[in-house]
Amino acid sequence: MATESDGEEDTAGKLTGSQHLEVDDDLREMAKKAAWSVSSCKPGNGVLALRDDNLDTYWQSDGAQPHLVNIQFQKKVKLQLLVLYVDFKLDESYTPSKISIRAGDGFHNLKEIKTVEFKKPVGWVHIPLSGTDPRETFIHTFMLQLAVLSNHLNGRDTHVRQIKIYGPRPNPVPHQPFHFISKEFITYSTLK
Amino acid sequence: MNLLREAETALCPANEPNAEVPNGAAGHYLLGLIYRYTGRRTCAVDHFMQALAIDPLLWAAYEELCILGAAEEASECFNDAAAFRVQQQQLSESSSQNLTIGTECQSLPSSMALGSGDTSPRHSKQLHANNTRETLSHPHGTVMVAGHPPIGGPSNISQYYTPPAVTQLSGVAPPPLCRNAQLYLNAIGGDGYTKSNVNAVIQAPRRKFVDEGKLRKVSGRLFSDSGTRRSTRLSGEAAANTNSNASQLGGNGANHFSAKSLGGLSSSSSKTNSAVLRSVTLRRGQSWANENFDEGRRSQIFYDSCADNTVTTSSMSALADGKCLEQDKMGCGISAHDSRLASGIREFLGLLRTLGEGYRLSCLYRSQEALEVYLRLSQHQFNTGWVLSQVGKAHFELVDYFEADRFFDLARRVSPYTLEGMDIYSTVLYHLEEEMKLSYLAQELISVDRLSPQAWCAMGNCYSLQKDHETAVKNFQRAVHVDSRFAYAHTLCGHEYVALEDFENGIKCYQSALQVDERHYNAWYGLGVVYLRQEKFEFAEHHFRKAFHINPCSSVLMCYLGMALHSLKRDEEALEIMEKAISADKKNPLPMYQKANILSSLERFDEALKELEQLKEYAPRESSVYALMGKIYKRLNVHEKAMFYFGIALDLKPPAADVATIKSAMEKLYLPDELEDTL
Repeated sequence: MATESDGEEDTAGKLTGSQHLEVDDDLREMAKKAAWSVSSCKPGNGVLALRDDNLDTYWQSDGAQPHLVNIQFQKKVKLQLLVLYVDFKLDESYTPSKISIRAGDGFHNLKEIKTVEFKKPVGWVHIPLSGTDPRETFIHTFMLQLAVLSNHLNGRDTHVRQIKIYGPRPNPVPHQPFHFISKEFITYSTLK
Repeated sequence: MNLLREAETALCPANEPNAEVPNGAAGHYLLGLIYRYTGRRTCAVDHFMQALAIDPLLWAAYEELCILGAAEEASECFNDAAAFRVQQQQLSESSSQNLTIGTECQSLPSSMALGSGDTSPRHSKQLHANNTRETLSHPHGTVMVAGHPPIGGPSNISQYYTPPAVTQLSGVAPPPLCRNAQLYLNAIGGDGYTKSNVNAVIQAPRRKFVDEGKLRKVSGRLFSDSGTRRSTRLSGEAAANTNSNASQLGGNGANHFSAKSLGGLSSSSSKTNSAVLRSVTLRRGQSWANENFDEGRRSQIFYDSCADNTVTTSSMSALADGKCLEQDKMGCGISAHDSRLASGIREFLGLLRTLGEGYRLSCLYRSQEALEVYLRLSQHQFNTGWVLSQVGKAHFELVDYFEADRFFDLARRVSPYTLEGMDIYSTVLYHLEEEMKLSYLAQELISVDRLSPQAWCAMGNCYSLQKDHETAVKNFQRAVHVDSRFAYAHTLCGHEYVALEDFENGIKCYQSALQVDERHYNAWYGLGVVYLRQEKFEFAEHHFRKAFHINPCSSVLMCYLGMALHSLKRDEEALEIMEKAISADKKNPLPMYQKANILSSLERFDEALKELEQLKEYAPRESSVYALMGKIYKRLNVHEKAMFYFGIALDLKPPAADVATIKSAMEKLYLPDELEDTL
């Protein structure tokens, strides 16, 4: 097997993307009410393209690297999964190859929590936000920043077609420490 | 039409405060509705009472009283004095009624056809018109033209006509029973709203009604009432129904009746009474297409008409029976009328009494008693769509979803086109997580009537079950749009907003629901949950208590009230309520779990563990039970057991949030051990 210590050359640590968006049922999309912004964009390919549920439209950056996508939430949220749609076949040198994910309270104290590399990805790339520590299935944050550090074939600008962010659902029974999973409990847990 | 103010001034001119309300009972009923919708509850109650006093067979008024929570015992309203009054009324009009019944019946179809889509601008005018018309229609004679509406002309007016004719029986009670026109229609349909070639037959049963003498006035009133109700209430439904059924109606275009027949009410007893029970009330304008009979779609004809038959599904047979009976009766002569009338009225009132009592108790959420009352009904009265729905609803209020499911299922089998109560059924299926059944129900309801709020509520519940809250919101908003006076649609919409954590909109929705119906305990509950989430515990407790006050037998409500009390640190009371909840419903695990939670927070660990052990037996695959036990053992420092239970909890695959909590709890368990080791 190719050297695993050196994560640059081999494909072992790199994400390639899958055809389908596969998300657990107990997660929900968190960023509908968040404020999205980008470091730069080409007119006509702005930040809206990242959220329009249309895989044909894309965001194209127009400045110096790293290209940033900032997502600011109204309150501290628990996030578990980040999913990007990128397409090497269509975008080639515009496809991101190395992405850094940072979180914090605002622009002033963002801290990197994860770096991932892509290898000719086509489709949805799922990036779990948890650390190696099982306690850290979620990150609890006000803001998330996605930084595209480099592109395939050393392209300058980048194309991203869609971004989705997932977190856990709230417990339908308020102030309950644990979720109910068995049918007997769920049936009686709320009134409608 | 929502022209409530105009309607009010028309009925009750501002400068003549003591003028008699036109058209007596129906007028009072209308005024009552107007007051109810504009929020003036006491006036509304007043008017409904007066309506009932004038015409004790006006079931609609009694129903409204129940909904407002101000009804007296059914036995009071439907007692002998009432019977006497009704009798008097009927007798005074019986003579001229013979012929008119026939004509009225026909005119009904015609008018209904016209009236169905019609928007009656001025209820009052119609009411007046109605009165005069009643007398006019008399001379019409026995021109029975089933398939050909004689009074086809003036739309508005004629529409008022026919109903009287059609409402053969003080369809009061029956209306609710037969909200599904279909079902009853059949029964009644048996009476002759079939194709034109059955003219004569149709005539016969109608005349029978005349004999009973209950119709005219009552029906007249009912009609106007139903007419106005139609406009003030779910007018869309009527139009939709007629429209949807129009296509079904083969050649009988004219015979569109939007009526609710009380087929179910046909009493099993004497033949004389059978006629009485065949009344068609135009309630929500559900059209009974004759075809439907012909197509035999209405399989449930609980019309035990004349011949003491048990439920017959074919209208023709009922018709035939009616005919025989009719002829029989005619043979008896007029002298027998009075006695039959009296006994008929008595029987009928007896039935109304039972139904009324059941409905009243059900609206007061004394569901257990309501169930007992309904059980007193005879077999075929019980097996009617309306009654079965009400029984299902009672079980739902008691949080007994399995029984509710059973009864609603029966109700649907018995009368598949019923819409009333189906919103509750969809909620029951939601709670039972029966996706297939729920989506099937929703599809069926939409195909029956696209413009009914119940159908959209069911669709919304479908999406809600799949956790697609945004689409669910859209569906519930459609339901609200279709009928903004349907409180449940608002409440369900609110629930979805809360699931999306949009508390502001959620609160707005709940408040609109409460504006429509103050006694809608689900909305109070919903508000309580919102405040609980927002940690405004005082408010939460207040709202839960109100909900509990309205519906004291729901164990889930008691549980939530307990949770609110616990958050307010009033743990003794909380525990009390939990005990009550536990004893109210043995099958509900939530109060036991919450009790264990409270006990553990009070550090009464042994008792908590006892509860949890019991719960473990009841629901062995519930990870939260083990997780809580693990937590308690951790507090008690019994680490092995804690680890053991946390392990089981994790094995049961709880959602990620719980996994994180449990794992972190387990991590912390290690530390004390390590410390001991090093020491």
